[in-house]
Amino acid sequence: MQRRGFLALGGSGLAWAARGERRPADLCGCALAPQPAGSNAFAGLRSGVAITGLKVFGVSLTRNSDRPYVFVKIETDQGVAGWGEGTLEGKAGAVMACVNDFRDFLIGADPMQVEHLWQSMYVQSFYRAGPVMGSAISGIDQALWDIRGKVLGMPVYKLLGGPIDARGVRGYYHTSASTRDELAKLRETAVQQGVSCFKSGIPGYYEWIETDAKIRRAVASLQMMREGLGPDIDIAIDFHAKTSPSVAQILVKEVEPLNLLFIEEPCPPENVAAMARIARHSTTPIATGERLVASYGCRELIEMGAIDILQTDINHVGGITGLWKAASLAGISGVSMAPHACEGPIGGLATLHVDAALPNFLVQEICGQVRPSAQDKIWEEWFGFPAMRMVDGRFPLRDSPGLGFELSEAALAKYPFAGTRPMARAFHEDGSVAEW
Amino acid sequence: MSMVTTRRRARLESFLAAQVAAAVPAQTANLEIDELRLYPVREPVSGRAWTVVRVGTRSGLAGYGECARASSEDLAAAQRFWLGRPATSSASSPADSPLSGAMDMALLDIVGKASKAPVYRLLGGPTRSKARAFASVEGAGAAVKRAIDAGYRAVGLPVPAPAARNQGQAYQLELRKLVETVRSQAADFVLEGAGLLTPGDAASVAAAIESLHPLWFDEPTTIGSLETLRKIADESVAPLGFGRDIRHAGVFQDLLRAGSLDVARPDILHFGITGSRRIAALAETYYVAVAPRHEGGPVATAAALQLAASLPNFFIQHIPLPAAAEDRAMRAQIAGGDLESVKDGFASLPSGPGLGITVNEAVLEKYHAA
Repeated sequence: MQRRGFLALGGSGLAWAARGERRPADLCGCALAPQPAGSNAFAGLRSGVAITGLKVFGVSLTRNSDRPYVFVKIETDQGVAGWGEGTLEGKAGAVMACVNDFRDFLIGADPMQVEHLWQSMYVQSFYRAGPVMGSAISGIDQALWDIRGKVLGMPVYKLLGGPIDARGVRGYYHTSASTRDELAKLRETAVQQGVSCFKSGIPGYYEWIETDAKIRRAVASLQMMREGLGPDIDIAIDFHAKTSPSVAQILVKEVEPLNLLFIEEPCPPENVAAMARIARHSTTPIATGERLVASYGCRELIEMGAIDILQTDINHVGGITGLWKAASLAGISGVSMAPHACEGPIGGLATLHVDAALPNFLVQEICGQVRPSAQDKIWEEWFGFPAMRMVDGRFPLRDSPGLGFELSEAALAKYPFAGTRPMARAFHEDGSVAEW
Repeated sequence: MSMVTTRRRARLESFLAAQVAAAVPAQTANLEIDELRLYPVREPVSGRAWTVVRVGTRSGLAGYGECARASSEDLAAAQRFWLGRPATSSASSPADSPLSGAMDMALLDIVGKASKAPVYRLLGGPTRSKARAFASVEGAGAAVKRAIDAGYRAVGLPVPAPAARNQGQAYQLELRKLVETVRSQAADFVLEGAGLLTPGDAASVAAAIESLHPLWFDEPTTIGSLETLRKIADESVAPLGFGRDIRHAGVFQDLLRAGSLDVARPDILHFGITGSRRIAALAETYYVAVAPRHEGGPVATAAALQLAASLPNFFIQHIPLPAAAEDRAMRAQIAGGDLESVKDGFASLPSGPGLGITVNEAVLEKYHAA
């Protein structure tokens, strides 16, 4: 009996489940004994579409990329396929393996039943989610929404009740402009292009407690930015968790007169009370959330009133399903959404669909510059349109079903997976580990 | 503007124009809203009244929703907002209109019909194949038997009307006897406080019946001070349900934060499907279930069942039990079929696209509430 159980698990995966048989006993004895009631509850309610294939692609634009894209493709017996993204910086190999771990959850399943499949992947994984599992579920979830939109003949944003603004989704680019001249040029380009918002960082790395000189330098850099860009362009500043709460609270207070759109991650994400402590010292809106997984991961931040803006990332939070739920929690407490997007184009395009249907949407990130880069060129080659480029300060919405694009595996083959690379590492003068 | 910028701009504009000109999927072609009508109706025997909202589109597809009551000013305001908008844009709905829940149901009905899918499939369901249901009854005994004969296995049992503030032991004994009678009838029960009790009485009642395992104690007292509600929750392990007086979803956040809520009961007529889903997403992060309130008609029942099949944390749906055969017939005629029948404690999911009902407007006219 035990030997047969071994063979069944090792060989044919969940073939026993497909045959409606009892789950074979595991060696530890902790397998479910009877086939639970409800295993076949959906037999009469299937959509007529079934998942036949699950593929995962690692895509490295450069040999040393720390964030090779992790793309997921799900195929069905009706010829419709869907794409999603689960890129996780520094952990590409782990996410690719995790996507494959979900194969038995997906092959043969009804791809239209995404809420049910999401629950199954999250709850029945037992350990709930960390960023690796969250990113894997995110990639799968996006692909399932893509399929559902295509089967139903609707862009995903319409399935979600959008668009609230037919002109598109307001966005911001990143900038590293810091001198008076650079900022003047940036302003000129922004006005020409209709771009209404930029995000930048604070200079250098920060120790637990900082010196007068370092604090003055940081504040001066933000003042320069406001003066250079003018009062009518919104400025977001990413602290990138480089600062301790002790340093951050000084900075958020001293830059209050600049009326920044928000300050992002003024401290690392694990300790919500620390984040709340910083927020209490300033009226400058505080944003965070890019590292959070599932709506569960956002609950405490919102409950404590610690933040003004939530920035969950569609590639980690649990895809379209996870982002919509996190945004719903946020909206109920009056928190605005500025979703993070600093990975590949599929997650970027998917997040626009959710944005377009959120009453509490503020602005969408893209890790691009106001002037198109080599990356933008590659994305345009892949999709046939300038993906994640704004027109008049907004990302246009496409009126085609699903996530609204076609992508060929051949196009990706030019950029083969070059392996997992760690994210950049920074150190203080004495060699101790710094946040960047 | 530099040459490069000009060229790029021209390219982006041509790209946009191409998008607009691209063949629009047939299903979404003419979903512009061109009509909004109200049908206030009244059940002939019970006198229960509600309002059906009809939303028409240029494609000819119409959708239906339901709200409690709406004035002609409310209708005019909704018409000003919605006429000319696409039926897909339900997320644009203003939250403060008495029609917002009904509009949400109606727009999802239209989108479902346009894409030939039940609403639960638009929303990523089904998450379940049938929906557990309960009906409110007037008391133990014959009324419970009537519900059980109708297929229910759970009932909503009202607390005895308190004679005055602060009840003594006689009240507790009366209540306990009532509950034991229901138990002997093999029915699970929701104890419905309807906000009639003082917080002190509510806490005593909760503690007295907790070992009899009500599904939950509903509206043990009116929602006043959050600290008062927390005291009831602290003094008993009986699950607590709230929603009757909640018109802003933020109240659910406060109750959940305080640990005072076990069953979130958004009013389906007020919050609609989408608003209830947002509250459910919030409740999910507290491991708390949703059992929407429903005091309306069959259109809202269809919406509630579609909602149930799209939620992971749905527990049970309240379905108004018709007071008489005429009322039941009227509800079934309006929806083009009896979707409110319950078997072994569960309602079936509606089949067919949209909400899964075929609304008969002639019947709506017949039962017009003046």
